[in-house]
Amino acid sequence: MDAFNNFANGTVALFSDPLGIVIFLSGVVGGMLFGAIPGVSMLTLAAILLPFTAHLSAEHGIMLFSVIYCTGVYGGAITAILFNIPGSPENAPTAFDGYPMTQKGQAGRAVGAAVMCSAIGGTVSAVLMMLATAPIADWAISAFGPPEIFALVFFGLAVAASVGAKTIWKGWLSILAGLMIAVVGLDPVGGIERYDFNMPYLLAGIHFIPTILGFFAVSEIMVQAEKKVTGAYSAPKLSVDFPSFSELWAHKFAVVRSIIIGFFCGILPGIGATLAAFMGYNEAVRWSKERWEFGKGKLEGVISSETANNAATGAAMIPLLALGLPGGALTAMMVGVFQMHDMEPGPLVFLNSADLVWVVFAAMFFANLSILLIGFLETKTIINLLRIPFQFLAPLILMLATVGAYAVRGLVIDVVVMFVAGVLGFFLRRTGYSVAGIVLGLILGKIGEQTFAQAMQMLHYEWTGYFSRPIGLALLIAGFLTLGASAYRAFYAAPVEAPPEESKSA
Amino acid sequence: MKFKNYLAGAATAIAALAVAGGTALAACATDDLPATRDKAGDFPARALTMIVPYGPAGGSGQVAQAMAQAVSELTGVSINRDHKPGGSGTVGMTAYMATPADGYTVLEHIDDASSAHALDSSRPNPAEDLIPLVTSQITFSQIYIRTNEDRFTDWKSFVEWVKAQDGKATIANVSKEGSMERVTMKFITDATGMKIQQISFDKGAPRYGALAGGQVDALFEQPGDVRKFLDAGRFKPILTILKERPGAFADVPSIKDVGLDFEPLLRFRGFYVKKGAPADRVEWLQWAFQKAFCTESYQKYNESKFMNLIDSYRDTEGSKELITSTVAQYREVYKAMGLEVK
Repeated sequence: MDAFNNFANGTVALFSDPLGIVIFLSGVVGGMLFGAIPGVSMLTLAAILLPFTAHLSAEHGIMLFSVIYCTGVYGGAITAILFNIPGSPENAPTAFDGYPMTQKGQAGRAVGAAVMCSAIGGTVSAVLMMLATAPIADWAISAFGPPEIFALVFFGLAVAASVGAKTIWKGWLSILAGLMIAVVGLDPVGGIERYDFNMPYLLAGIHFIPTILGFFAVSEIMVQAEKKVTGAYSAPKLSVDFPSFSELWAHKFAVVRSIIIGFFCGILPGIGATLAAFMGYNEAVRWSKERWEFGKGKLEGVISSETANNAATGAAMIPLLALGLPGGALTAMMVGVFQMHDMEPGPLVFLNSADLVWVVFAAMFFANLSILLIGFLETKTIINLLRIPFQFLAPLILMLATVGAYAVRGLVIDVVVMFVAGVLGFFLRRTGYSVAGIVLGLILGKIGEQTFAQAMQMLHYEWTGYFSRPIGLALLIAGFLTLGASAYRAFYAAPVEAPPEESKSA
Repeated sequence: MKFKNYLAGAATAIAALAVAGGTALAACATDDLPATRDKAGDFPARALTMIVPYGPAGGSGQVAQAMAQAVSELTGVSINRDHKPGGSGTVGMTAYMATPADGYTVLEHIDDASSAHALDSSRPNPAEDLIPLVTSQITFSQIYIRTNEDRFTDWKSFVEWVKAQDGKATIANVSKEGSMERVTMKFITDATGMKIQQISFDKGAPRYGALAGGQVDALFEQPGDVRKFLDAGRFKPILTILKERPGAFADVPSIKDVGLDFEPLLRFRGFYVKKGAPADRVEWLQWAFQKAFCTESYQKYNESKFMNLIDSYRDTEGSKELITSTVAQYREVYKAMGLEVK
């Protein structure tokens, strides 16, 4: 009841202040735009705005950032679905199935599902955030150390081989290729230089954003261009059909599952929405009876990834506000906003500035609701972007992708990486490998390697140490069971060859 | 130039005295520099770029933001920050060395640049290949435990407990080979005879979460970075890695108090311009960055990060001395550790 009263007070404080409303609405629109345009992201917007927040009150500054966070995580889904360009890494799994749906003429269903699920995931997460907070954060950091996070990543990767590849072997090779790319650069523990060929830029590792842009956007343009040249090209059919209510209801378990996964990943410091989206997607694959359909245009893929990444937003505020531990880059910038107002996020914020906390909570709740409203309004217009003929659209996409790759760190090498990935992706896709698998391996591999090394140090290099960590042990066993089952199917069961493909995209 | 250095030097001495006396309020190191200064010809005619070899949220990102803001307030010239993280600062440094030496691009860097040069002399030497404009943050490290810890309560009981664990005790750290953290821990473990497993976390939040959540037994960190945990009463320092106790931590033993005898390594952050930039532009930048150190906003920032506990200011010459002695110190340590010094 307390929580409800506080929430009501926060809502009143938010909407009774004209300046607050203006900032709220600007945050909603700004986050969506910057999330949707490849090349810039909500982080770009946040970095631009950071110095200006000194002139806002603390409430308004933090509220603006939290609203941008909610809507920015959704915005990237649109370009992921329509053009195969994830606006930010947490939307990459959305492209796995969203873009194939566009090619099948189901863009409306995919975007509609993304709108609904982002809103549901975010709103539920905001409610959980209000009810949970401090005790949950303490529990999360004490129950989940590096050994458990590694086990979680392993559990997720165990099922990833079935995403988008023609056979399970090619699926595994794709994942392993991603894992190999992830080990380029300084090793996360001793700082040992690996595969750097004496190039200082390789020391920093191969960044996943140019890699994603290359494997998805650039290789897709080459695939379409080839079709255009050989006369096999047909423009994607336009549809503005929204997913029906019964269609979404049929995926209710996927939504609930993704909320739980997303919320959980969001709570862990340093993990955040990207892992949430990938894990949400992987679990959808694991629990599905039609796992070979994933990566080829399955609505459930879009639903799982978009629900999970928005569910992580509310959760990420918990360790930030309760413990002062930011979960990702954007929440880390929020720490900067707090500091500009002589505050430190942490347990004292709840005591000293409870009003502020509840205004932020209310703002996040309504920001997620407004995704639904604005999403519905814009979807029917935005889908018309697909009417642009390919020969005009392709250069535009290439330009945006190039800007996006360069903007990550301002390094030309990232643009080179993107084009190399594009060409590689083109050939890998023709031969039945999965670019989605490579990206999964790359992103989960970076987190996995670091937590593995930390876990081994903590357990004194003894695997048996896991016997004293039941959560980690359970996740590891579940992962091995999944691996065993898929190996069994590959050898003994009836061939699980995918049915004839409608499109070659993965 | 000489006179200015003299002034700055004298001001530093006064500031040091003031800090020592516990009255850092009034005097500031560069109060004697002129409040305004004409442009050097038409320089700067446009915004400056500051390359920051770390992300925006960490200690370097924050000091870059605070200094850029202070310089802009002072001179009206805006500074665009360009973050190029990766490879422990190597990527940013390499990108910076490729920029033209026209004074428009400046660099933020930390003591990692000095230790990297000590290990491999083909890496740029910040004191010779760059011109330090100002060193604006100098701080020390401490070892922290949870406040509600009951297995040990102070340094003495901690050392005993760690020894009893026979190598199973853990401390969260940034343990890149040859880093300030790793070298300092080696000094400590060699002298005390404890065996402790160092767990490397390259980002702050998971590192602090590991101590708060009981994943590790202790934490190696600088006080400014964990101030909120200290203020909230969750962490407490049990050892200050300095020879003397600073006033704010008067009840925490220093290394000298617990019988450790080594020269403490400091963490420092500063701003640089490339060697070969026109002399009048360099002088203008030196004035701007040194004067900005004493602006109210920058001083407030440094104070909030515990950067006022020991003298945090060095001008160009002072920075060169600091870097040169740091490089020499690391080189000696690396040789003693058996690392290959190139």
